Amino acid sequence: MKALLSVKKGVALAMVLSSMMMSSAHALTVYTAGPGSLAKSLASGFEQKTGVKVNIFQATTGKVMARLEAEQANPQADILISASWDTAEDLHNRGWLLPFHSANADKVPDTLKSADFIAQGISALGIVWNTQSGTPEPKEWQDLTSADFKDKVTTPDPALSGASLDLLIGLQNGMGDKAWQLFDALKQNGMVVSGPNAQAVTPVMQGAKAAVFGAVDYVTYGNIAQGESLKVIFPASGTVIAPRPMMILKTTQHADDAKAFVDYVLSPEGQKMVADAWLMPARTDVQAKRPLFTELKVLPTQSGGTSERGDVLKRFNSLFAK
Amino acid sequence: MVLLIMLVALPLLFILLQAVFPHFSAGKLDGAFSAIPALLKAPQLPAMFSGTLQIAIGVALLSAVIGLPLGVARGLFDMPCPKLWDLLFLIPFLTPPYIAALSWMLVLQTQGYLMQLTGLDLNNLLFSKTGIVLVMTLNIFPVVYFAVSRSLLASGQRLAMVARVHGATPWKAFYHITLPLLSPALAAGMLLAFTLAVEEYGVPAALGTRSGVVMLTVGIEEKLADWPIDLPGASMLSVVLIVIALGGWWLQRKLTGDKDVTSVSGKPTEHVGARLGFVAVPVVLVMAAIGFLAVVLPGLSMAITGFSATLSGGLSLANLTVKHFVALFAQSGDALSALGTSLSLALAAAVITGLLGLCAAWLVVMQKIRGRGVMDALSLMPAALPGVVIGVGLILLWNRAFWPVSPYNTWAILLISYCCLLLPWPVRYISSAMRQLGGNLEPAARVHGASAFQALRWVVLPLIFPAMLAAMLMVFAIASRELVTSLLLSPAGTQTVAVFIWRQFEQGSVGQGMAMATLTLITGLALMLTALGIMQRGTKG
Repeated sequence: MKALLSVKKGVALAMVLSSMMMSSAHALTVYTAGPGSLAKSLASGFEQKTGVKVNIFQATTGKVMARLEAEQANPQADILISASWDTAEDLHNRGWLLPFHSANADKVPDTLKSADFIAQGISALGIVWNTQSGTPEPKEWQDLTSADFKDKVTTPDPALSGASLDLLIGLQNGMGDKAWQLFDALKQNGMVVSGPNAQAVTPVMQGAKAAVFGAVDYVTYGNIAQGESLKVIFPASGTVIAPRPMMILKTTQHADDAKAFVDYVLSPEGQKMVADAWLMPARTDVQAKRPLFTELKVLPTQSGGTSERGDVLKRFNSLFAK
Repeated sequence: MVLLIMLVALPLLFILLQAVFPHFSAGKLDGAFSAIPALLKAPQLPAMFSGTLQIAIGVALLSAVIGLPLGVARGLFDMPCPKLWDLLFLIPFLTPPYIAALSWMLVLQTQGYLMQLTGLDLNNLLFSKTGIVLVMTLNIFPVVYFAVSRSLLASGQRLAMVARVHGATPWKAFYHITLPLLSPALAAGMLLAFTLAVEEYGVPAALGTRSGVVMLTVGIEEKLADWPIDLPGASMLSVVLIVIALGGWWLQRKLTGDKDVTSVSGKPTEHVGARLGFVAVPVVLVMAAIGFLAVVLPGLSMAITGFSATLSGGLSLANLTVKHFVALFAQSGDALSALGTSLSLALAAAVITGLLGLCAAWLVVMQKIRGRGVMDALSLMPAALPGVVIGVGLILLWNRAFWPVSPYNTWAILLISYCCLLLPWPVRYISSAMRQLGGNLEPAARVHGASAFQALRWVVLPLIFPAMLAAMLMVFAIASRELVTSLLLSPAGTQTVAVFIWRQFEQGSVGQGMAMATLTLITGLALMLTALGIMQRGTKG
């Protein structure tokens, strides 16, 4: 009796499923980290231009990569836009990427492209400061260790945010061991580690904390446009940028559509959308609504692979563990 | 049984395989067991293990402390407006835990709403182990409340009355008769609370990192959150988590498993609650206070944030706006279609798990089929699994080239994941209700010529229907706001409510996220009210 019931249900389910599978064929699938509104406007712009439908899976870099990894046996994504340059280098080393040179890539600086991936846009890390917090405006990373900022600073968890880990590496590369003295002083001053980027910024918006040490900037620019009393400050001593690599996966069934999509994102029209999401465009000839990385002092984050990242993270975690 | 294996056992098996074979996701079987030494070496493992255990036990105990008296009050006495209390305590399930945690943060942290209004700063209480246990308990204690009150409502007070007639004092009758009768339901409720706390991710993620408390779920999420993804490591930690949950299940079976209590003998009982008399006012006040803490306060915080133009503007009339709500309807229907998707998925999940749970509980408890221990364990297991593990397991299982048709990359995969995740609810509630049925009821029907199915339909079902309905409502509530698996499994182009809200938070639009949360809460509540109304009219008598 029960078995019969389950079989019936199973058959019904299978029928419903197969009908759905057919309708979802023939579309471009884009996995993307970062602003969902940007992904949507790029998709609809591309659809209007070419008639090719774009399905978007948007999540954090971690979720996107976990899905990509779990799908290895039967890959689904055609294009991947990540928020972490590392992921692209790693996929390149694994040989998962399709080499492609877009005609629109000429206006992108060499440091932001390679044979099989290229920046979609760039964000930078800075101090996010609440202008109504009653604290003096910080100019430098060190300022956050002063008595004015006692127990008033948060930072995103570098274990959850690749960009945040990049900042630690950049500061270490730029300042050497002084970087660790800085982190130690921040810890002494009561800095707390919160979840991913947004979770570190929210307490600053409400005033529970006065500043974030190293937040991704474009989200905050969006908040400021909404009327929040925040300010993004890039220390003159240097910070790191986080270019967002865009790549085509070798397993794609729609290589031509995928190439056309990359072309579109790198076109002046696509780059304008990137700029409207408060990111820096990858092309040098497109206007941004915010400071460009050419105006910042950029610290080098290139590191000798994953082991150094692991070591930095471990050292940071043990510093903030207790 | 086939469905149960498809839903639960297979994804689990694939997680296990992934844990054993690190390259399983690529379809290779080399390097077996190489992830185990890495797991044992991980410096955080002891902290995560004890953190998880301490918090889960704390939540289970505290849930019993709050849920038992409230459930007894609801089940034994003629509370004014009984339905209202049930509804009130369903609301915590409609609120995603991470939103509850965020709401509490906005209320309690330094410069939060409480401090803006009263100057009281509870920041340090919130960001501590106690704070995590409190916030989680306020979300979870209703499982105990519902288990206890449903069981009392179903069993009636006949036996306790008998004791009273024979001269027992009310306390004695309660202690010797009612409490033992309650024990299966209480244990089942506490076990659910324990497993829910074990697998909870949102609250420890929001509050834990700042107070140095780590739980296994957070560890698993972390392994999946940054490049390079550690799929085998995450699977390994999941196995540890499953072991903890199974431990709780084993303990519960050990304590109450073989005690069957008969309280529904088939003779019609009319439920008449005992008079509360002069204690009515304090009892109602206590319930209202708990309801205020668990429901109204976080709900208010949510609504206030949704109606505030900016967070930094604080509580002031000048900061009042409806723009976040207007924006919800403006985003080319995104928010509304997410709402529609979530609600229909939740409805389907409630119906499917209700039926499946009924079958499973019936086979395990009443038919006592062989292998019922396995079946029982299988149907409980998902409660112990963090959503993200089920998500990865389902991808590993269904995204294979060898399936002729696969639900993967369609909304069906979401439905499957919800059914898998939420199946334990109906199973627990229905089987604890069934355990209270007299052992002679079903055989009596069979003797009189009813088939097993007829007996189930006409004798058992009506008696356990309140428990089943309560469980299905809970499934609906939880499914309508499930986050973690939805984040991972949503096919490209489909959004659920929770995913929508999460994206808003990620992009820094707290106000818009909270507006959506408020809207969803109200819609879900209205739908459940309607459903309750219709069903109760249909089953009168």
